[in-house]
Amino acid sequence: MENLVYIALFAPLVSSLFAGLFGMSPRQTFVGIVSSALLFVSMSASLMLAYHVYQTGAPIYVTMKEWISMGDLFIPFGFVVDQVSVTMMGVVTVVSTVVHVYSIGYMDHDKSFNRFFSYLSAFVFSMMVLVMSDNFAGLFIGWEGVGVCSWLLIGFWYHKPDQSREENPSISPSWAANEAFIVNRIADLGMLVGIFILYWNVGSLQYSEVFAALPQLSEIILTTAALALFIGAMGKSAQFPLHTWLTDAMEGPTPVSALIHAATMVTAGVFLVIRANPLFSMTPEVSFFIAALGTFVAFFAASMALVNRDLKRIIAFSTLSQLGYMFAAAGLGAYWIALFHLGAHAFFKALLFLGAGNVMHAMHDELDIFKMGGLKKQMKWTYIYMGLASLALAGIPPLAGFFSKDAIIETAFNEGTLILWIMLVVTAGMTAFYSFRQVFLTFHGDERYKAFGIHPHEMYKFVLVALSPLAILAAIAGFFQGGFHDFVTRLLPEYQMSEHTHHLALVLGAIVLTFAVGGIALAYKKYANGLKRDEKTENGFLYKLLANQYYIPHLYEEIISKPYAMISDLMWKSVDLKIVDATVDGIAKFLYKSGDGTRKMQTGNLSNYLNWMAIGGIVLLVIAMLSAMLG
Amino acid sequence: MENILSVLVFFPAIAGLLGFVVNKESARVYGVTVAAIEFFLSLWLWFAFDNNNAGMQFVEMIPLIPDFGVSYYLGVDGISLFIVIMSTLMTLIGMISMNIAKNIKNMVITLLFLEMTMVGVFLSLDAIIFYLFWELSLVPMLYIIGAWGGPLRIYASIKFFLYTFMGSLVMLVGMLFVAYIYHDLTGVWSFALTDWYALVLPVSYQLWLFAAFFIGFAIKVPMFPFHTWLPYAHGQAPTIGSVILAAVLLKMGTYGFVRFSLPMFPDASVIAITPIAIISIIMIIYTAMVAYAQKDMKQVIAYSSVSHMGIIMLGIFAMNAEGIGGSVFQMLSHGIVSGALFMLVGVIYDRRHTKMMDEFGGLATVMPKYALVFGIMLMASVGLPLTIGFVGEFLVLIGFYNVSPIMTILAGTSIIVGAVYMLSVYKKSFFGPVTNEANRTLQDLDAKETISLVPLVLIVVWLGVHPKPVLEPIDNSVKAMLSFMDEKAITQEAKEMIKVAKSTQEIK
Repeated sequence: MENLVYIALFAPLVSSLFAGLFGMSPRQTFVGIVSSALLFVSMSASLMLAYHVYQTGAPIYVTMKEWISMGDLFIPFGFVVDQVSVTMMGVVTVVSTVVHVYSIGYMDHDKSFNRFFSYLSAFVFSMMVLVMSDNFAGLFIGWEGVGVCSWLLIGFWYHKPDQSREENPSISPSWAANEAFIVNRIADLGMLVGIFILYWNVGSLQYSEVFAALPQLSEIILTTAALALFIGAMGKSAQFPLHTWLTDAMEGPTPVSALIHAATMVTAGVFLVIRANPLFSMTPEVSFFIAALGTFVAFFAASMALVNRDLKRIIAFSTLSQLGYMFAAAGLGAYWIALFHLGAHAFFKALLFLGAGNVMHAMHDELDIFKMGGLKKQMKWTYIYMGLASLALAGIPPLAGFFSKDAIIETAFNEGTLILWIMLVVTAGMTAFYSFRQVFLTFHGDERYKAFGIHPHEMYKFVLVALSPLAILAAIAGFFQGGFHDFVTRLLPEYQMSEHTHHLALVLGAIVLTFAVGGIALAYKKYANGLKRDEKTENGFLYKLLANQYYIPHLYEEIISKPYAMISDLMWKSVDLKIVDATVDGIAKFLYKSGDGTRKMQTGNLSNYLNWMAIGGIVLLVIAMLSAMLG
Repeated sequence: MENILSVLVFFPAIAGLLGFVVNKESARVYGVTVAAIEFFLSLWLWFAFDNNNAGMQFVEMIPLIPDFGVSYYLGVDGISLFIVIMSTLMTLIGMISMNIAKNIKNMVITLLFLEMTMVGVFLSLDAIIFYLFWELSLVPMLYIIGAWGGPLRIYASIKFFLYTFMGSLVMLVGMLFVAYIYHDLTGVWSFALTDWYALVLPVSYQLWLFAAFFIGFAIKVPMFPFHTWLPYAHGQAPTIGSVILAAVLLKMGTYGFVRFSLPMFPDASVIAITPIAIISIIMIIYTAMVAYAQKDMKQVIAYSSVSHMGIIMLGIFAMNAEGIGGSVFQMLSHGIVSGALFMLVGVIYDRRHTKMMDEFGGLATVMPKYALVFGIMLMASVGLPLTIGFVGEFLVLIGFYNVSPIMTILAGTSIIVGAVYMLSVYKKSFFGPVTNEANRTLQDLDAKETISLVPLVLIVVWLGVHPKPVLEPIDNSVKAMLSFMDEKAITQEAKEMIKVAKSTQEIK
């Protein structure tokens, strides 16, 4: 079993290094094929491990070697394969493998094809380290590793120039990449502080030892540690107020958006909360904060998706919104439901993104859904895939999203947090609306793209075939809810609906479904028969507020980026040069000048010297007198 | 080899003297050969080093002026071992990568003398010998900046020399005073550090002495507000000068704190924690901001050095093994990474004769290998896990957290502000379209540059993934030092603050 763990973990690394060897040479299809094959190996190993853990119920611990040891701190490279990590491994490798195969087609014409596979596999390796580590420091390795890969991949088309915010809200790929990295670093500081708190209070960073020691810790320590770790989670999972980077990250190639910014990396924050559930379940205030923030983000992000015209940004907002759902579940103590939604969401959201990639490919990188329409004729399969994924996202039975999202909404009701419940229900309606607004504007109605001289075509066959596993999983994953529950609750705390909720389950489900179907119906009415622009609404305050993301990116620029640059400049030009350095030079100049001045005493004239001697003698006498009087 | 340390110190100097008779064409090969031998000697020292011995090893002692207790006294422990190896490595790499046409022979000889003084400083256990090497190191650097530097080289070199020299004079007074007290208490003169360690001084004496040593070390580090000589020195120095200055000379200051201030004045050091931490935090945040404002690529790296030295200073005053050990490791890591970054700036300067970032843009398209190496060093500089930069920074921050959580959070912003200025350099220079026609035809790294940079890349990854061989000796010596400080401290506060690791072994 140990070998399987290593294969699952290191096959992506081998793939990355292999592709990296060809990083600077021209496009080679076999690089993509070998990478995908290695990813497939990693996936197979992960699934075998999953089966093993399912069979035996016993986690596998592997300690490779010591990493850092200093003072009393000891950090090994240790990995654990238990119910939670093996679920994550499965999700990550399945989606990664599909995305790798997909990229062979999607990146077909890119001259940096080989480099792309190197980065993509490096990302998978980091993600595997993140989910498999058996200690917080190992988690942090993966945490930072995925951050760097995300930086590399968002900025993959680094040669594009900066544009103004009006032309392109994310300015440029390299700008978006830096934004993502820096925002994540802010959160990482929180994460580090959490690690420090645990270390100094427990003396170890191993999950098992930390969780065992939690009952001995005081409440204040637990609360600050939980809060600090959650700040870390907020960065990776792009929770408000650290959310702006996620939509800008859409500057990266679409397979990257599917893998990193929808299915895997952004769920790392949720994973952290699930992993550290013993800590979070002991800190109810922090947990409730998580749930409340998650619900808020679910609603907030969905509202921005309602009016967006950018194919990828709509999906990005929906990712943000679904992450909010996951945090809501985790915050309310339903860790297994959060994990279930995480998995289900990964499948249908990756499918949705990859479908969007097909559309982009067909539309020559045009992203404005107002310029599309009627594509279902040319792109039947993509239409089916995206339609299916959108149905799943909207929570229509019997697709995956119905089971997982409905369970979260039910949890909010079960916990008696009615406000959260209402917000989540309304958000479900909004989700259905924006998803199908997108589907209808893209695939139905008049063919608006013709005016722009675009001739769309369906994606390569093998790519469409490669997407089928995701489509199947998006369709059927929900049926495994019961089995999944039994599997992960061996490790995660049990969460069951109360008797009362159980009775109302059908009613509750019906309410959610009404909202979802209502959203779809509304979208159908407005958009299915072509785009009718409504100038009045579009110029309204609310529409503009949403379209500009509540002006938050502008606000950050005005109150953070610009002042930081200005103060930095001031620090350099006014403080460092004019005060600190000028003082040093001033002292030097004073010494030099006084030396220069007193040099004039050296006249070579004996009587002058005698005069100075007399003055000196008097001064000395005065000093002697004064000191005698004072002493 | 009984006298390995003496060989290490004087081999470069003797070879440097012989260098005068080497002819001009082969001066460079000669220099590289000597530096390589010296480097292998230092590796041999590591090989022969006993990891389980936390004390001084390979000790050599020859009385020079017995009446005043001045002796030629050398030794090495886990703290100095790797700084020595790093010095010889960076000299070798610097020598290989050197791209100087004018008076190359003089440069080679100067570098070899400089190497002697650097190795000498880190191996000396006698204050007078230490001071000799410490001051002598200024001369070759003065010459390197003054003779091969940019347009403002005279101003920059004089400023560097006078500023640091003034600081060291105050330190010398402190040293003489310690010797005087030693004589007063024991009746014999001694400048041996190991003798001085045994002195238990009253807190008021400790404070004054701490201040005297502080001036000398702080200017060298350089700590805020004594740092302004550094941007000028880097701005004017040739690449090789900047590499050695950043990689090794700055470490003399931080090494001095570990070797002198902490064990000699434990109580004063504990009192100084808060002020030093505040200065360190200013160094970290303020110079990171100043770095962000720079337009010249080399100045960014220069200011970033100050910022990283802030982390090192903070760790030294964490008073626990995690922090101090992390600082020593961070000295190595900063030496490797900043040295490499200065070399990388040199690469582009050789091609374009400018370091202004607005002249560049899109370099990643034209020079992919260069962009790759720069990217790796950038990530090491911002402390990415599994690179050398993470280990030290993480240990320092975790160590200092035990002293003050709030100050650690402030210092921890280094991971944010560091990323801000480094990523902005990378974006301005390497990303975006190639806008300047002059950049379109640039050559990627040539063989010489590749040979000098690849080893550094390998070290960055190796010590990031597997820092154990280096951490272990450091760990032992630091733990021994802490338990010694704890025994020696006289105030209750100091005893409480100095945290002896539970896993400390008995000192042999």
